Amino acid sequence: MSEQESRLIRCFASVFPGLTPEEIKETRAGSSGSWDSLAGVTLTAVVEEEFGVEIDPAVMPELDSFEAFRNYLERQAQLKGGGDR
Amino acid sequence: MKLIEALEILRRPVADAAPRFDLFLACGFTPLHLQTFLAAELRRLREQPVTVKTGLFGDLAGNLERLDAQSLQSLAVIIEWSDLDPRLGARTLGGWLPAELAGIMSAASSAAARLQRALIEVSARVPVVVCMPTLPLPPMFPTRADQGGLFETGLRELSASLAHSLAAQSAVRVANAQFLDSISAPGQRYDVKSDVTAGFPYTLHHASALAELFADLIQPRPPKKGLITDLDDTLWAGIVGDDGVDGISWHLDRHTQMHGLYQQLVASLAGAGVLVGVASKNDPAIVARAFEREDLLLSKSQIFPFEVHWQRKSESVQRILATWNIAPDAVVFVDDSPMEVAEVRAAFPEMECLVFPKNDYAGVWDLLKHLRDAFGKSLLTEEDTMRLRSIRDGAAWREAGSAGEGSADDFLKSAEAAVTFDAGKSAEDVRAFELVNKTNQFNLNGKRFSDAEWKNFLSDPAAFLLTASYKDKFGPLGKIAVVLGRVQGRTAKVASWVMSCRAFSRRIEYQCLKHLFDTWEVDEIEFEYEATERNGPLQEFLAEFVKAPLQPGMRLTKEQFDERVPQLFHHVERVAYV
Repeated sequence: MSEQESRLIRCFASVFPGLTPEEIKETRAGSSGSWDSLAGVTLTAVVEEEFGVEIDPAVMPELDSFEAFRNYLERQAQLKGGGDR
Repeated sequence: MKLIEALEILRRPVADAAPRFDLFLACGFTPLHLQTFLAAELRRLREQPVTVKTGLFGDLAGNLERLDAQSLQSLAVIIEWSDLDPRLGARTLGGWLPAELAGIMSAASSAAARLQRALIEVSARVPVVVCMPTLPLPPMFPTRADQGGLFETGLRELSASLAHSLAAQSAVRVANAQFLDSISAPGQRYDVKSDVTAGFPYTLHHASALAELFADLIQPRPPKKGLITDLDDTLWAGIVGDDGVDGISWHLDRHTQMHGLYQQLVASLAGAGVLVGVASKNDPAIVARAFEREDLLLSKSQIFPFEVHWQRKSESVQRILATWNIAPDAVVFVDDSPMEVAEVRAAFPEMECLVFPKNDYAGVWDLLKHLRDAFGKSLLTEEDTMRLRSIRDGAAWREAGSAGEGSADDFLKSAEAAVTFDAGKSAEDVRAFELVNKTNQFNLNGKRFSDAEWKNFLSDPAAFLLTASYKDKFGPLGKIAVVLGRVQGRTAKVASWVMSCRAFSRRIEYQCLKHLFDTWEVDEIEFEYEATERNGPLQEFLAEFVKAPLQPGMRLTKEQFDERVPQLFHHVERVAYV
């Protein structure tokens, strides 16, 4: 597991304390009763603070799973790396 | 605190038996992360389950007016500009035309008056902490950003006026804007994206800072009680034994002004009831002459006791603590010598021991701010102003009592003592509440009360609150004892009983029980007794009456009391009896 993935799991675990790391990797909005709009806003704020990113509100509806968040953060890291070159 | 840390704190298990702390967070915006941070801060301070309830979006005044305060321990209120008029926020497009500003001002004034009424009314039922607007005003005024125009300054005056009126209420604590500025930079507070998209206007850092401030106001740490200070290069600049009485200084022209500011602060603390003692390695005669200088800002009469000799500082501190009869953790020791500070710290690890940073202007300024904070109190009571005098008189009392003028009875008889009992049962009795929550030694069980618990207890028709004030020929001690309980049939059930250590040796504790038996005509008293680490004096007193080991729920009958009570010589008065 990468360092980024373990940090993201910690973010999810803080918002969804009932899920195991394995369950977190599979979780999706709607699949878990606890992932409501409030949890979504909280999760976004936690990820923004933890990873130092600002998530565009237009993108938020697409961030509906652990995998979506992981892919988003990887894209941001690549964009940041490209910008530095 | 980061948001993830707050969420993780809230996941920690708490003891099943821990009582729940219910708080209402009243605000006009979506409370979102502020609610999370506040619950986490309170959980960190209290280690008990915390529930933070919230109201309707955009209706702060209505939330306050509808509030059912019955089950609440506290109410936290945050007022933002948009609560005074929605056009002062970013979520309402009501127009910012210059011609509309007077109308906005008028509406804000009406809203402030409504909030004032609601807050004063609700503060009679639950303790309130309130924070005035923390966010910048929107760019709606015709003036440039660097100019304070008529309407903008008018709004700030309105906010300050509301804060001023609320600060006058005994059950309201107003957040200090200057302190908030120091932990949350004004330019870093507003998150317009979050405000517009989610209705939550704060950056996470600002929400965290506000929650920390609210939690400290809701659950203030107990203030320190005594300050022990060094003299040379601390209270004044210079070594009085070497430089002479005229050689020491605390003035601008000698570049020693910071010592004058320290004197000024210590004098102010003494005026507010803080005990001030001196521990100095010096020649007492020279120090006595130094204190005759009329330009000293701290007078000799504000200090008691003086420990001026060449013995170790820790021995001086030990004697001062014995005179004050307070614990080391309630005292701050200040000395310019790191070695002396280390020696006292080693002897009293619980005591806060600080180096006076001579020649460091910013360091001394920070020390002054720290001392003000450490000794700060929400309210001053009459007893605060008489504390030093009563301790000084108490020393004279003890000396007279041991001087062989006669038996203890003769001495007590000659003291011309008077005890005044007040059964007024006022939930606003700040002194009674304070005594119950800070007394350690003569304390039935160590039980502390929150504001709400106190009010709830006293709202029971069967409950009683009895306070005792004392004076004798050496001077008044003020209100020094509190008995809290319920009368059920011919039994008085005492839930809390405390007496100030300043009142020991005067048989006031016997008079309290005698008063319960005689005036309220009960046959027995049941005590919610609990042993604590520090209530030895209370245990010794109760043990005089019962042969068996002290137990929770122990009872004392009138016959048992009458059999052992010593002769009492107080003149007894009663007030506020129905």
